[in-house]
Amino acid sequence: MTTAVTSKETVNKINSSNISFTKNNLSKVDKKDAKLSLAHIYVAFTALLLGGLAGLLQVFVRSGQFKLPFGIGYYQVLTVHGVLLGLILTTFFIMGFQFAAISRTAGAFSNTQRKLGWIGFWLMTIGTISAAVMVLLNEASVLYTFYAPLQAHWIFYLGLTLVVVGSWLECLAQAMRYAQWRRENKGQTSPLLTFMVVVNNLMWFVATLGVAAEVLFQLLPWSLGFVERIDVLLSRTLFWYFGHALVYFWLLPAYMIWYVVIPKVIGGKIFSDALSRLSFMLFLILSVPVGIHHQFTEPGIDGFWKFLQTVLTFFVVVPSLMTAFSMFATFELRGRELGGKGVLGWFKNLPWKDSRFLVPFIGMVAFIPGGAGGIVNASYQMNELIHNTIWVTGHFHLTVATAVVLTYFGAAYWLIPHLTGRKLTNKLNNYANVTGIMWAIGMFIMSGAMHIAGLLGAPRRSEFSTYGGSEQATEWISYQIAQAVGGTILFIAILLIIGVVVNLLWFAPKGEEEFPVGEVAEGAGKTPAILENFKVWGVILVALILIAYTIPIIDIIRNSPLGSVGYKFW
Amino acid sequence: MSNQKKSDDNLKGTLYATFGIGIVIIVVWALCFNLFIDRF
Repeated sequence: MTTAVTSKETVNKINSSNISFTKNNLSKVDKKDAKLSLAHIYVAFTALLLGGLAGLLQVFVRSGQFKLPFGIGYYQVLTVHGVLLGLILTTFFIMGFQFAAISRTAGAFSNTQRKLGWIGFWLMTIGTISAAVMVLLNEASVLYTFYAPLQAHWIFYLGLTLVVVGSWLECLAQAMRYAQWRRENKGQTSPLLTFMVVVNNLMWFVATLGVAAEVLFQLLPWSLGFVERIDVLLSRTLFWYFGHALVYFWLLPAYMIWYVVIPKVIGGKIFSDALSRLSFMLFLILSVPVGIHHQFTEPGIDGFWKFLQTVLTFFVVVPSLMTAFSMFATFELRGRELGGKGVLGWFKNLPWKDSRFLVPFIGMVAFIPGGAGGIVNASYQMNELIHNTIWVTGHFHLTVATAVVLTYFGAAYWLIPHLTGRKLTNKLNNYANVTGIMWAIGMFIMSGAMHIAGLLGAPRRSEFSTYGGSEQATEWISYQIAQAVGGTILFIAILLIIGVVVNLLWFAPKGEEEFPVGEVAEGAGKTPAILENFKVWGVILVALILIAYTIPIIDIIRNSPLGSVGYKFW
Repeated sequence: MSNQKKSDDNLKGTLYATFGIGIVIIVVWALCFNLFIDRF
């Protein structure tokens, strides 16, 4: 064992108090909280279906064998896909999961906290509908990054603002429940899952300040016609201040499931509470001051700041590998407990037929090449190799669209029946496993083809074109057809996922499905109080952000050019 | 000579697997670096 060991007596005391606390008070999500959580899940899976359909249309168009009917534009479909899956599916699922996670581990929300949650939910929903209507009316085909100088209708920007403001209210409700727990349990370490939610929310709040500033002070006045021109570089820098942390906002809930839920699903233990909390705090401080690694080719940012943020980005490898180590350790300890022998013999003893484990596990595996590709993206000069190529699209389809979403789906397969009072039957479990396997096959084909085509120079964010019969563009076509094949398999998997979800919501037999929450391994050391000291980590976070961003932003504003008028190319 | 039995309660597999991920990262990076040097 590599974890620190305290005296046996202390460990037993901690474990027995945890167990009795869990059994007596907190085995289920409160019924009223369950409704709030489920409301988010309805929106999330509706977004999955519509966004997935848009993705299917995209890969068909890019294969060169299909033209969109009824005057629908490629970039319109691309925007629907990115906004619905990248922003709406993720944010709604995360918030729904987090409400359930806190209710399960810290206790039911008060009426005031829950009301705040509902207000947040409706703001987010109204915002989503407003933005979606503008995209469907072809007034906002600006893709999910909504880069200036592409200019959308102001209602699109307002809609996205409502999504962010709504999410802030929900974060506040969750933070209030955490603060209440701390008041009621002075001197105790908070439940791990609740702590992780609060870290994720704090990171989200700090990150969204950037995009809020961009939308409120730049995009809205510009799209409303109050100002004619916009500072494009400033808007992109504010976007990426938010945009990279957004990636971690997607990822950390998946990590919550890996660290806390999966150990219980496999019948094992959480390897170390302290290691889990340290890894989350490292993600908190390293997620925001790294956004410039998305802007390596921007001419208006000095090379020194790009280099500094490259270094900070590379530090993210540390908590990532800590997580990998912790997961392997949980698997190995459990596998050996079940009689696994040899160096890797324990691997076959894991519950491969249980979709609650298999589906997120496929996600974990996808994260290995996804992470490796990410290192290439972040390697400053080497970024030239893949910048704005479809490699990048392949990369985030491995990370967010496989590692993250398969973990969400794997969680939905027990969370939804837990909330609806139904059972994940053997038959549904088998279908759920098929969804994971189909996703893996479809994504291997699609993302693999994207990576290779990207290295051959194929651009991202672009409709099918032979580029005037260029020889280089001809090389990409077979990979684009492969993307259509992979994308079709993925869409069939989405239909199957929706089928399982609909069953779990309304048709599966009544019963009880567990919300699995792992316990810490015996022998794991007591968690140091510093790991829950938000003041200390908050100061480090603010300091790193100030170091990484103050001078670049002053430089951008001081050397601000005339700015750009808005363009609508669609 | 020790009479101790060889224990299976270890994290050897975890160690190898974690290093394995590190090696995958380095190999992917090195291959891309090779392309980068060829191209630029």
